[in-house]
Amino acid sequence: MKKQNVRTLSLILCMFSYLLVGAAVFDTLESESENSRRRVLEQKRNEMKKKYRFSEDDYREIERVVLQAEPHRAGRQWKFAGSFYFAITVITTIGYGHAAPGTDAGKVFCMFYAVLGIPLTLVMFQSLGERMNTFVRYLLHKMKQCLGCRCTEVSMENMVLVGFLSCIGTLCVGAAAFSHFEGWSFFHAYYYCFITLTTIGFGDFVALQKKEDLQEKTPYVAFSFMYILVGLTVIGAFLNLVVLRFLTMNTEDERRDAQERASLKRDRGEQSRGSHRERNRSNAVHSRSHSTLLLPMEEGTSRTNLIASPAEDQLRQRIEMGKRWLKKKYI
Amino acid sequence: MKRQNARTLALIISILTYLVVGAAVFETLESKQEKSHKRKLDARKYELMRKYNLTKENFEELEHVVLQLKPHKAGIQWKFSGSFYFAITVITTIGYGHAAPSTDSGKVFCMFYALLGIPLTLVMFQSLGERINTFVRYLLHQAKKCLGMRHAEVSMANMVTVGFFSCMSTLCVGAMAFSHCEGWSFLHAFYYCFITLTTIGFGDYVALQRDDALQNDPRYVAFCFVYILTGLTVVGAFLNLVVLRFLTMNTEDERRDAKQRALTSVGKPRGEVAHLLPISASTSSTPVADDSTKAKDLKGVYTEVLHFQTICSCLWYRSKEKLRGSIPTMIPQELTFSDAYMQQNSNCPHYVEPGSTGCVCSPHQCSSISSITSGLHILSPFRVFKRRSSV
Repeated sequence: MKKQNVRTLSLILCMFSYLLVGAAVFDTLESESENSRRRVLEQKRNEMKKKYRFSEDDYREIERVVLQAEPHRAGRQWKFAGSFYFAITVITTIGYGHAAPGTDAGKVFCMFYAVLGIPLTLVMFQSLGERMNTFVRYLLHKMKQCLGCRCTEVSMENMVLVGFLSCIGTLCVGAAAFSHFEGWSFFHAYYYCFITLTTIGFGDFVALQKKEDLQEKTPYVAFSFMYILVGLTVIGAFLNLVVLRFLTMNTEDERRDAQERASLKRDRGEQSRGSHRERNRSNAVHSRSHSTLLLPMEEGTSRTNLIASPAEDQLRQRIEMGKRWLKKKYI
Repeated sequence: MKRQNARTLALIISILTYLVVGAAVFETLESKQEKSHKRKLDARKYELMRKYNLTKENFEELEHVVLQLKPHKAGIQWKFSGSFYFAITVITTIGYGHAAPSTDSGKVFCMFYALLGIPLTLVMFQSLGERINTFVRYLLHQAKKCLGMRHAEVSMANMVTVGFFSCMSTLCVGAMAFSHCEGWSFLHAFYYCFITLTTIGFGDYVALQRDDALQNDPRYVAFCFVYILTGLTVVGAFLNLVVLRFLTMNTEDERRDAKQRALTSVGKPRGEVAHLLPISASTSSTPVADDSTKAKDLKGVYTEVLHFQTICSCLWYRSKEKLRGSIPTMIPQELTFSDAYMQQNSNCPHYVEPGSTGCVCSPHQCSSISSITSGLHILSPFRVFKRRSSV
């Protein structure tokens, strides 16, 4: 079976087993606690119902009012600061849900906003992350030179170590800050930073939700926004370093296969039809490869690059140039 | 300014502008409704408080209980199916929050679980998405051939159109199913599918939260899980087609810059024998192996340059035998170089026994170069020395 297919199948199997294992562990860790808490809360609820003599309908009404008023408890969510916070949670796909558009127009705009915003944000974070990695690599190189290390080249291990430590450092800084400002324990604040910066964003812990923080504590609001964006950049840089190459594995393999098929065809064509006709064919292929929108299926190339791979085109160009020059000079 | 830096700066500015514009629009759309909604709820709340003679503290206590009971109202969240649902929301980063680990050990495990699961999921969806794109491309090609079209090639525009329509239909199918099963309006169900499949996952609408569906309705539960995972695959395939290339733009540019820098600096030490041929630097510094991704550092580039020289080496080798009797003294430098290279490469994987074809390059290593060897074999071997030494 082709390498890409084997890889894809094994990844699917891995993911399913991972989900099953995770589900089993979460069940073990949370189920009992859930049951006991539920019993306690239901007991309390029944006590209160008896104490205040609520009718069933009225109790349901109270429930509805309380649940709907939940976002309002944290203050005005849709003034500019709150809307900016919300916009961040949309395009970074964090999506706490502490505030969600109530109007239908808001929902529709939210969808269009996300369609353009999410790819833009992905590209931005990867772009900035790559710049950061390059800069860090340069700094490490200079440091190694200063320290008089034998080998001043920056290895992948160095970069991964530095990246990992920056991620942990970012999480700890955030944890310290939010545990102070929000009154959470350090562990809960760390958990909040982790869930935010991995863009999971449960919403069980949300910053800037203490009464009127969004409107009054402007420096804290600015800090929170900066922290989220900078933290996502640091994580994005680490992902760019470690994970991004794996996202293009199948595409690269497919490209390599296509080139091998094309070159084998060309070799066979050489032997059977003679070099003269083959040269014409290779020229035709060469000219077609310049058209950036076409995916010539005959060649078996499944390249999807909008931007033609420069190395291959340059290589072909130079070969042709070299051939022509040599022919001119020596024939 | 370097291209990558300009690009990154432009992206940062566009994101910040996009956020400001979005915030302004959301404020316009939602602020008024928020105020009126809050007023209505407050009014209702005070009515109820008056009716039952509740003090503020009493009501707050009641609020507290009701809010804490909220996840429990939706059913048992942490039995196996609920945990599986939760695990999906973690590793896909959807993160509804309809259920979140309450124990500290649950939180810790959640963090480690996400640390390994999220990259695994990203790679899996991109891998599967690429396979789907390749398959769709094949189908489209066959379809075009069957329809007897002039151009049977599948263009990028075709692929993007098909991808976009698959995304829209996935959303619509989900919207219909969930509006029927959850009792939402079509727009709200579409909004739910969209927010889920973009992995934003607000949690304002969450499936499987009505009537203890997680425990009672296994078929609907299975449908939801399958829908979320296939929907994410379809969206992932579309992203793989359209967005992925932009994520590697800076890295590719940086690689190209490094290669150019390396090649121009490698070319210099050979200057003493570069007096012969005025071939332009660009021709002689051709990156040879198409697996140019391997040439990340100077070592790799140097290997590439040497590899390029093998073309001439192989021709030189053939001609070496012819010249054995004639003028060996004219070419002492090239000879030593070439001999050293041959020795060095005798352990290389692509080294071919000299006796076989007289050529060192194997077709798999320099597929595009084979055309040059065929073209050059007609040239006089002696003159080829000069060409190689210019590199």
